[in-house]
Amino acid sequence: MSLEYNIVYKAENVYDNPVKEARWQFLIIPEENYNQKLEAITFKNSMEFPYEFSTNAYGFKTIRILAKAPFEAISFEASFKLLKETSNPFDFILPINQEDEYSKYQQLQFKVDHEPFLRKTPLTTLLEHHINFFEYQQDQFVFENLQALNKWVYEKIFYTPGATDVETTLDEMLEHRQGVCQDFAHLFCAISRKYGIPCRYVSGYLHQGNGYFGDSQMHAWTEAYIEDVGWVGFDPTNNLIANENHIKVAHGKDYSDCSPLKGILYSKGSNTTNHSVQVHGQQQQ
Amino acid sequence: MPKEDSTIFSSYQRDPSLFDEIYDKKGQVKEVYKTLFQLYGGHSIPDYMTLNEKARSSFFNQGITFQVYDDKQMQEKIFPFDLFPRIIDGKEWEIIEKGAIQRSRALNLFLWDIYHEKKILKQGVVPLELISSSENYLHQMMDVDPPGGIYNHISGTDIIKHNDGKYYVLEDNIRCPSGVSYVICNRTALKRALFGVFNHYETHTVTNYAENLLDLLESVKPHGADVPNTVVITPGMYNSAFYEHSYLAKTMGVELVEGRDLFVENDFVYMRTIKGPEKVDIIYRRIDDQFLDPLEFRADSSLGVPGLFSAYKKGNVTLANAPGTGVADDKAVYTYMPEIIKYYLDETPILNNVHTYHCSRPKELAYVLDHIHELVIKPVDEAGGYGISIGNRLTKKEIATVKKQIQEHPRKYVAQPIMSLSVHPTYIDETNSFEQRHVDLRTFTILGKDKDFVLKGGLTRVALKKGNLIVNSSQGGGSKDTWVLK
Repeated sequence: MSLEYNIVYKAENVYDNPVKEARWQFLIIPEENYNQKLEAITFKNSMEFPYEFSTNAYGFKTIRILAKAPFEAISFEASFKLLKETSNPFDFILPINQEDEYSKYQQLQFKVDHEPFLRKTPLTTLLEHHINFFEYQQDQFVFENLQALNKWVYEKIFYTPGATDVETTLDEMLEHRQGVCQDFAHLFCAISRKYGIPCRYVSGYLHQGNGYFGDSQMHAWTEAYIEDVGWVGFDPTNNLIANENHIKVAHGKDYSDCSPLKGILYSKGSNTTNHSVQVHGQQQQ
Repeated sequence: MPKEDSTIFSSYQRDPSLFDEIYDKKGQVKEVYKTLFQLYGGHSIPDYMTLNEKARSSFFNQGITFQVYDDKQMQEKIFPFDLFPRIIDGKEWEIIEKGAIQRSRALNLFLWDIYHEKKILKQGVVPLELISSSENYLHQMMDVDPPGGIYNHISGTDIIKHNDGKYYVLEDNIRCPSGVSYVICNRTALKRALFGVFNHYETHTVTNYAENLLDLLESVKPHGADVPNTVVITPGMYNSAFYEHSYLAKTMGVELVEGRDLFVENDFVYMRTIKGPEKVDIIYRRIDDQFLDPLEFRADSSLGVPGLFSAYKKGNVTLANAPGTGVADDKAVYTYMPEIIKYYLDETPILNNVHTYHCSRPKELAYVLDHIHELVIKPVDEAGGYGISIGNRLTKKEIATVKKQIQEHPRKYVAQPIMSLSVHPTYIDETNSFEQRHVDLRTFTILGKDKDFVLKGGLTRVALKKGNLIVNSSQGGGSKDTWVLK
């Protein structure tokens, strides 16, 4: 069975002073993978500047625009039509022995292969006393531990839009235990990596039809690596295993690899940006 | 011939514990220096002062200046230049040249490996932690094939001669090593002041650097660029090495650009010119990785070119040196150079490495903490001689501070025995005479596709303060013309 999604991403930028030159890069196109099929893309901007497709360093598709005439405000609108296969996230066989499984994660070859997603980054670094709140259970499977971590992060942070911004560190956020989906994902990544389980930050869209947390912007969750299974998505903001409501765009080490909009301006003064996202889903046969 | 005691060398004092470059073991002036010694010895002190002034004005006239960071007043300085050249005979040079190429080739293979199969890490020859803790290990470069397979096109290898008479490498600089323009300007200045001395020696030229640089860069041009267009990109005129950037562009006959002069469209790089956009194929970049492309690295900087990395990843442009090369010039990686050379080339190192203690290893940390007074402590990731502590120059209080710093961040420090840099007669303004001063040598190596080049010469840096061992220009060092004999 599959779902058909219509996703609309909008951004509006207003500048204090006229901008003569600018360049934007959007990382907002849903990834094409085994259960996501992109059927159509449209992209427009109010200034009718030409745009092109490129890829970022991790191979995800980007849209780039080069401004060629002065302007003071600009808006962008992208829409995507996507087919998403529903799948059972629990559809795999657990290994036989917990200790054997965990010992694979300790091997040098494994650590070298997964180094990028085992690394501490400025956004996924925690003080020692914050890490120790969550305890890894060696007598349980990696998957079970990750489920426990998902729940633990979900209970640790109160979902509070506007409580943090992209520069807030995890330790600062944990002082008040208030955060948004990026904070949930970063905290999950930090702890998973600390215990040697490769984990990547995922950016995408959430279909909120079922009352999930997330606001009308892009969502963030994680993918952790389970030996003999592969990358499994965990959404700690909603204490869920990622499912047919999660539409992946990109992954990276943390938010800085995945920010949906990067702009380079050659202008003085400040600017304001507004984003909005709408996701409509419909069941297909 | 005039006796030396009637001349400028009359008051030259030799400290027997130091290795003096111009004397042999028996205390005689070495064969290669004899003629020069006699020629210079014929000058009186006032003659010499006039000549020195002449050389100095040559630098101002050529506009060769640099700026020192952290100076309260940002001001342009000239790099102090010493008229008495250093001479390296052909045989001795051959060892340096082969050793420098061996290191550059080994580092290039190491970089290819850690950005592809990672065999050296999987086999535990180089510890994973060393690489994964380095901010210069760029994940963006994973499985990217640089054009021609070259990462470290340009290397600056810092070499010293210890009091055992052997050469040792202190570090391999493979980010944006600078100084080559001074090598060429030192030669020009010496020729202007004392042209006659060159008649007595057969010295290799140093002015062929730019043509070789361009030739080797063009050998790693991107696929499909038949007549490649090369540019030099600079962070701008406020950079301490701006003079060098403009010098290299001028002598290669290519454009000097800043980030804003370039743009990327459909993953190709173009330069804005009055005749319209012109495609760029090879960029000799003198800006650091983190500033190369604000869309992929630091977003708060406009020094770079938005979209440059995706053009690079597609193979449409050559960047020299390749992004992510800096991971291999970390001082902690340096300490594994003998293993790296053995692993990739199955050779023994031609140039010695200084023995290094890793503070990240508990046993070695204990040794370092007990022997600070006889060691040099270096932070692993600082360039330009910043943050170095020399154990036997520290007060008790300073030793305690250094110990504390090491204990707090053991991974950040390595320690080495205090090497005794060789000394060379150097003209000292304050005393109007020649005195012994410590020197090192930076050599410049270029790697291309199936070819390489080492500049026959190099930058001999002089620590002008008496007894000082740090020769970096940012720490008040000077330099000498360096002759490699045919």
